[in-house]
Amino acid sequence: MDVQGLQQMTQNTPAPGVYKRNPPIAGEAEAIEAAKNGDAEAFSRLYALHKRRVYTLCLRMLGNVSEAEDMTQEAFLHLFRKIGSFRGESAFSTWLHRLTVNLVLMHLRKKGLNLVSLEETINPSEDDAPKRDFGSRDLQLTGSVDRVALERAVASLPPGYRMVFVLHDVEGFEHNEIATMLECSTGNSKSQLHKARLKLRELLRQPEQSAQPASLKEVAV
Amino acid sequence: MTDTSFPDFDTMTPADFEKYLPDFFANGDGHVSTDPRLQTFLKNNPDCAALVRDLEAIADQARSLFEPSDPGDAVWSGIQNKLKHQLPDDDDLAVPQTV
Repeated sequence: MDVQGLQQMTQNTPAPGVYKRNPPIAGEAEAIEAAKNGDAEAFSRLYALHKRRVYTLCLRMLGNVSEAEDMTQEAFLHLFRKIGSFRGESAFSTWLHRLTVNLVLMHLRKKGLNLVSLEETINPSEDDAPKRDFGSRDLQLTGSVDRVALERAVASLPPGYRMVFVLHDVEGFEHNEIATMLECSTGNSKSQLHKARLKLRELLRQPEQSAQPASLKEVAV
Repeated sequence: MTDTSFPDFDTMTPADFEKYLPDFFANGDGHVSTDPRLQTFLKNNPDCAALVRDLEAIADQARSLFEPSDPGDAVWSGIQNKLKHQLPDDDDLAVPQTV
């Protein structure tokens, strides 16, 4: 996806669930208008207001503190350059959220996900795929999941699985929106989400050590 | 939910159920366990019911994942530095100093 595509996507109608979670913030509108006119302090204010949301989104999508901080920086630099194109058709936080999602996707494609079609790349290798296993009722999760364990398991998912899981189950995007963002079919998005959940179930049923990759110390927030 | 492509719920096998489970989740409200058409099947197939409970628990807990946290101070410093040195077209824009 090129920069023009990114700009177009940031102007799309936001996901209803995301919009509901992003009500206007007091003083934000004034800061936006001032920042459009080059007011440095207003931009500082916008950073202070939105840094947590942007960083947390990056961390969810990337599963890595260092990369998440780099992408947070990129998102605000992009915001600084493009804030003049924000027309207020959606909540600013929704617009920034979408901008950030698309920057992260571009980043991942640059890292290698763009080498072949996304339909293939978001399918992980055989080793990473969830086992086809209904059974073993004695190992079931008893209907409750520890949040920290789940965070760790999500961070250890293959990137394609993690992306769809985070966008759908954590961020609340619909399958058709995810399909647009990831340039794949809606059916592929549904399938990847299901495989991601199956993989998470498998990881959560394993002893903690084997489910935790070496890089996870960095992600334990 | 559109039933046209789904198998007969009364004669469905666990393999059928596995095949259609992504659509069961996607087309309903995300809670397959409460779908009235699947109650008999799930009652007769406890392993499938356990799978559904687990996947629903994972999806439900996902919404509370990753408590918001702040980026390190170096992020803001990096933004300031890059604005100073990498935006030659935006010379008229002042570089923000504080957060």
